[in-house]
Amino acid sequence: MGVVVKKVELSWLDRTYVWPVMKGMGITFNHFIKQLFTRTSKRYTIQYPDMKKEMPAGYRGLHELKRFEDGAIKCVACFMCAEACPARCISIEAEEFSDLNITQGFEEKRPQVFKIDMLRCIYCGMCEEACPKDAIWLRNDYEVAAYDRLSMQYGKWDLMNTYAEADGKERITQDPMPSAPRRAIAM
Amino acid sequence: MFLAFALITLLGALGMLLQKNIIVAGLFMVAAFFGVAGLFVLLANPVAAALQLIVYSGAIMVLVLFVIMMLSSHEEEAAEVGHPIQRWLSVLLALALAAGGVTLVLASKGVRQLAERGAAMPPAVTLQGVGATLFEGHVLGFEVAGLMLLAAMVGAVALTKRNL
Amino acid sequence: MDTLASLLHMSPAVAWMVVKIVIVFSAVMILASVWTWVERRGSAMIQDRIGPNRAAIFGRIRIIGLQQLLADGIKFFFKEDLAPTDANKALFWLAPFLAFVPALMGFAVIPFGRSFTSGGHVYHLSVLDPGNGMGMLYPLAIGGLAVYGVLVAAWSSNNKWAILGGMRSSAAMVSYEIGMSLSVVALFMTTGGYDPSEIIAAQGHLPWHWNVVPHFLGFIVFFTCMFAETNRLPFDFAEGESEIVAGFNTEYGSMKFSLLALAEYAHLMTASALIATLYFGGWQVPFVANPTVALSITSFVLKLVFFAWVFVWIRWTLPRFRYDQLMHLGWKVMLPLSMVNLVFHAWRMSQGH
Repeated sequence: MGVVVKKVELSWLDRTYVWPVMKGMGITFNHFIKQLFTRTSKRYTIQYPDMKKEMPAGYRGLHELKRFEDGAIKCVACFMCAEACPARCISIEAEEFSDLNITQGFEEKRPQVFKIDMLRCIYCGMCEEACPKDAIWLRNDYEVAAYDRLSMQYGKWDLMNTYAEADGKERITQDPMPSAPRRAIAM
Repeated sequence: MFLAFALITLLGALGMLLQKNIIVAGLFMVAAFFGVAGLFVLLANPVAAALQLIVYSGAIMVLVLFVIMMLSSHEEEAAEVGHPIQRWLSVLLALALAAGGVTLVLASKGVRQLAERGAAMPPAVTLQGVGATLFEGHVLGFEVAGLMLLAAMVGAVALTKRNL
Repeated sequence: MDTLASLLHMSPAVAWMVVKIVIVFSAVMILASVWTWVERRGSAMIQDRIGPNRAAIFGRIRIIGLQQLLADGIKFFFKEDLAPTDANKALFWLAPFLAFVPALMGFAVIPFGRSFTSGGHVYHLSVLDPGNGMGMLYPLAIGGLAVYGVLVAAWSSNNKWAILGGMRSSAAMVSYEIGMSLSVVALFMTTGGYDPSEIIAAQGHLPWHWNVVPHFLGFIVFFTCMFAETNRLPFDFAEGESEIVAGFNTEYGSMKFSLLALAEYAHLMTASALIATLYFGGWQVPFVANPTVALSITSFVLKLVFFAWVFVWIRWTLPRFRYDQLMHLGWKVMLPLSMVNLVFHAWRMSQGH
């Protein structure tokens, strides 16, 4: 069945063409005046480097590796995120550590290398879903850019420190020893 | 001033004759028209100059160039093999024409008067003057020309449009 | 003026001529280049955008983005200047000048202020003094020559889009010239003269005596035709960037392109000056019978700027016409309308008005 197209009957005033043009010019002039007298902060355009858009809560931006309050990394190097990653951009090398006083002789695991290739990452958030320890999450920050490919390889410290200042955390460059057994905290 | 405009006219005309590329030739012709318009201004006839520019270079040459472009003959046409006799004949004829023209101009009444009275600048021709002359002295010729143009226009439309 | 002339060892007339030429042409050029900015900023405002506001001197001083002009100029100047391989090089170089010179020349006959007397001399504020015999025919003639800039640019770049654009716009310009001329002829009739200063003097200082009131039909026709003559939207068939890449200036870059763009804006200035002169009383100040020279110049410049803004305004209001609609409008609407206008005024004059 064909679609019946309704023919619009123009009034004689519209058919003169002059009047509709004037109406159109009125509309554009309204826009012009409105835009002219709107403050910069109220305009639709967000002037990017000076103004930034508030990202919604669920936005998936740059990854961060979370830490405990004492600064120790939450990640236990279980490789779940690496498995879940559809883009295969996470590579982890685990290491064991033990401290007689705190871990009471038990061996604990943590990542020695935790690398995300931001050029391959598709920011899907599957790693965040898969993580059993809530150790990785995707922040609201979206300014992931660099001048060369190598600096798009985010290592463990990059993932922990990139927005450390903004969040009021300390920059850390080596794993601190946990001050209490983690199992105790978990229980 | 006269020399400049005369040179523009002559060079334009020469360029048009010698240029193989048909569009460039047309542009040379526009230059020649422009030079002629300048000469008209020097002869205290700005109306003719303006009309020359509006009608010839503004409309007719544009249409001619338009048609040439539409037929898109960008290739430079090779001249057909001509007989040398034609060339000599044409040179001779052109010389004869030039000689005849020059003698006629020199023998005309206006030039003799100019020699007697000296060259005083005549008052500039105005549009009002042209209109009055057309509609008082030459009204019949003017109307006949208009009628002929109308007939030509109707004929052109009738020829090109199959079903009116 | 006399002292200046004697300092420069020139007669006052010659000195005045030089001063006029410099003032008029530099003013038109500056206005034209400023109008590239107005176009971008104005279009942005109309479309609820912001427009260019980033260019700054020393990375700091940005006067509402006006330095964009300078930045564009520098950029165009230092770009590589190349011509396509199969282009006709000479004509390719000539075309921007062919477009630019007529656009500027058309301004020469328009009086931009009241004439004044000083030291026994009458100084006219137009490059060509009134009574030169060309009068309003001069801008029409120069407007006829303006086609060649587009046509030559289009043909010499040896590009099918360019040729299409050039052909479309030349056909449009030629067909709209007729309607425009006829509406101007009606003005000549009612004025009884064809010199712009006569036309201005005949209009007087009362806004309802200006030609736009009795010649409203003619004004609409003339205004529309001016859009076609200057190749501005809604009639910009020379460019038509959504249809034929960039039309006649597809192959142009660097300074040549900027000259073509400037030519368009200079043309726009001339067109709005013509509209102000013919239909809106030129330098006449509303309700002031004998304005001072400065006031008359201000009035003229204000009118000119307003109409130049209307050109920009309409460009960002209306979409482009289809080509056959343009031809339809030109031949079947504009030409009869201007004819009706002409005959109507002839009839009124015959009735002794």
